[in-house]
Amino acid sequence: MNLLAISINHRTAPVELREALFLKEDEARSFIKLAKENLLKEGLILSTCNRTEIFGVPASGELSHQKIQELLLRFKPSQNITEEHFQKYISRDAVKHLFSVATGIDSLLVGDNQVFKQVKDSFQISEETNFAGYFMHRIFDSAIRAGKRAISETKISDGAVTVSYAAVQLTEKIFSNLNKKSALIIGTGETGEIAAKHLVGKGIGNLAVTNRTLEKAEKLAEELKAKVLSFSDFKEAIFKYDIIISATSSPEILLTKDDIKKAIKKRNNQPFILMDIAVPRDIDPESKKLDYVFYHDLDSLNVIVEQNLTKRKAEIPKVEKIIDEELNSFWEWYNSLQAAPAIKDLRDLFEEIRNEEVGKNKNKFSLDDQEKLEIVTKRIINKILHHPTIELRKNDNESGSSDAVTKIGIIRDLFGLSSKKISDTE
Amino acid sequence: MISAIHSINILLPFFYLLTLVVYFYDFIKGEKKLINIKRVFLFITLFLHLIYIVLRTVAFDHPPITNVFEIFTILAITISFSYFLVELVSDIRGTGPFIIVLSLIFQLISSVFIQDLVQVKDVLRSNLLGIHVISALLGYSGFTISAVYGFLYLILYKDIKLNKFGLIFNRLPNLEVLERLSLYSALIGFIALTIGIVIGIIWLPMAFPKFSFLDPKLIGTGLVWLLYGIGITSKVVGKWRGKRLVLLSISGFLLAIISTILSNFLAQSFHSFY
Repeated sequence: MNLLAISINHRTAPVELREALFLKEDEARSFIKLAKENLLKEGLILSTCNRTEIFGVPASGELSHQKIQELLLRFKPSQNITEEHFQKYISRDAVKHLFSVATGIDSLLVGDNQVFKQVKDSFQISEETNFAGYFMHRIFDSAIRAGKRAISETKISDGAVTVSYAAVQLTEKIFSNLNKKSALIIGTGETGEIAAKHLVGKGIGNLAVTNRTLEKAEKLAEELKAKVLSFSDFKEAIFKYDIIISATSSPEILLTKDDIKKAIKKRNNQPFILMDIAVPRDIDPESKKLDYVFYHDLDSLNVIVEQNLTKRKAEIPKVEKIIDEELNSFWEWYNSLQAAPAIKDLRDLFEEIRNEEVGKNKNKFSLDDQEKLEIVTKRIINKILHHPTIELRKNDNESGSSDAVTKIGIIRDLFGLSSKKISDTE
Repeated sequence: MISAIHSINILLPFFYLLTLVVYFYDFIKGEKKLINIKRVFLFITLFLHLIYIVLRTVAFDHPPITNVFEIFTILAITISFSYFLVELVSDIRGTGPFIIVLSLIFQLISSVFIQDLVQVKDVLRSNLLGIHVISALLGYSGFTISAVYGFLYLILYKDIKLNKFGLIFNRLPNLEVLERLSLYSALIGFIALTIGIVIGIIWLPMAFPKFSFLDPKLIGTGLVWLLYGIGITSKVVGKWRGKRLVLLSISGFLLAIISTILSNFLAQSFHSFY
């Protein structure tokens, strides 16, 4: 199989180099156009914050990884990127790598199912730009199936693996229904924003945000349909919220134990969740000693994250088994696209139909004619199959090429020829 | 029939043990495929237990509610049956082992000490007695389950406060659900016990010439009833919740146990029938 892949990712390059090669959607579309004009017949471009990968079937037979790299670096010039920053895959390994990416086991955060969506989006772009041919379509289908199976059949994506999400998941161990609860986000930086989005995703009933720079709070509030509290007097209102998530860069404590004590009194001892994900901390850690107060800081949330990551890593062998199954299934299909077995399957099918029809009708003929019937029908079949057989044999010389694969694939699809396992033909 | 009763009497603790093992295994492993299997085990055990009670009632001509060890077997089935309903209705997993272990203990004690009591006092054959005892038992089953959920609430509450994110944290339902289960069980128990008490007040003076409102069991039950009454009212008016409420439930359960032990084994009471 002449599928090539190059990958620059979190294992091979630091973030600044990955950023340098990151392709936004419009850039990916432009690069596909360039690649189609110069090197590749069909393929896939996957670009996220942790990886940029190019999968492609060469337009001519003499393509190397080097040329794809050069094209990418010509499109996105970066002086510091060298040969060592790229991983290279070919044939079966390239397909396997794509499956590993789609299932999340190749991600920085093992089991990150966001990458599954990103892979699907990349497929979409390939389709829209006519970069996805018959062969790549089949790879897409298998990769998507592997990704879906990994999520549904294993626990590879279970549990929170980011501090913000761990904070939100922990609240679900205290409250049964977030729809009826309210939350206040103090600090609308990246961490606060992610936590706010997780809460909205979990269906929080009421959300409010506050930030030293009011404009930032208003922007996030508008996006999430949240309420904005003034930073100067939000302390007076904390008792109205069941969950407080604080993620500011304030050098001093924002909420003292006394503030929390007053709030819990006003709340009539209703559970009060305080998630302090700021460094240095925003909420006095002594608050955890108060009854009905559930105080958690980065250290305690990291315990959850680490536990979940360990559990996810333990699921990797199960996902690898799924990948192997999907890879074998894909490979069976691919091998069935070799010319010889395709010709045999096609002839077997016609012979089966001929045999069945002759068997059904031969009693309508005399004994002498029955023999002639066999000869005549066989001759018809041979004549019908003569030209397709010659055409398919021509492909034997270029076995595995994109054209041959497409031709044989179409014949198999048209005549409903099942993929048959041909051992050791790789 | 007697030999069948004896055989099931021996088998029942083993069935409860087996069910407990399956529930405990599920608690440790948390695998989806075990959900239905464990319910089948519990259902079979409950069904066998029901057959046992019917057989005893027919063979000995009275429902098994006339002494402590007969009552223990009824407690075992009502506790597990109540839990079975909770699990079916709420689909809440992870609390089963903590409830079923109580059924196992009650059934084990009952199986070891229960006797083939054929002769019972005439006073114990009254229909009102049946309703009185069954209501009281349902009440105590409710309080038992409420206390278990209360206990689990306290463990999870502590684990979350102390950042212990182990098996308890991963398997138990959230604190609000545990509090609600504890409250509802207590509420059902309270209603059932109230019915038992009302029937008792109407029927007891007629049935027992020695009846006295100062009877230790009556005082104990009255205190338990009062405690749960205060707790439930406080919850309804919104004064008590969470930890305080479950502590009250556990205290009520302990008081019920102490009162039962004192009145049955130590004090002389018209409630002691053997």
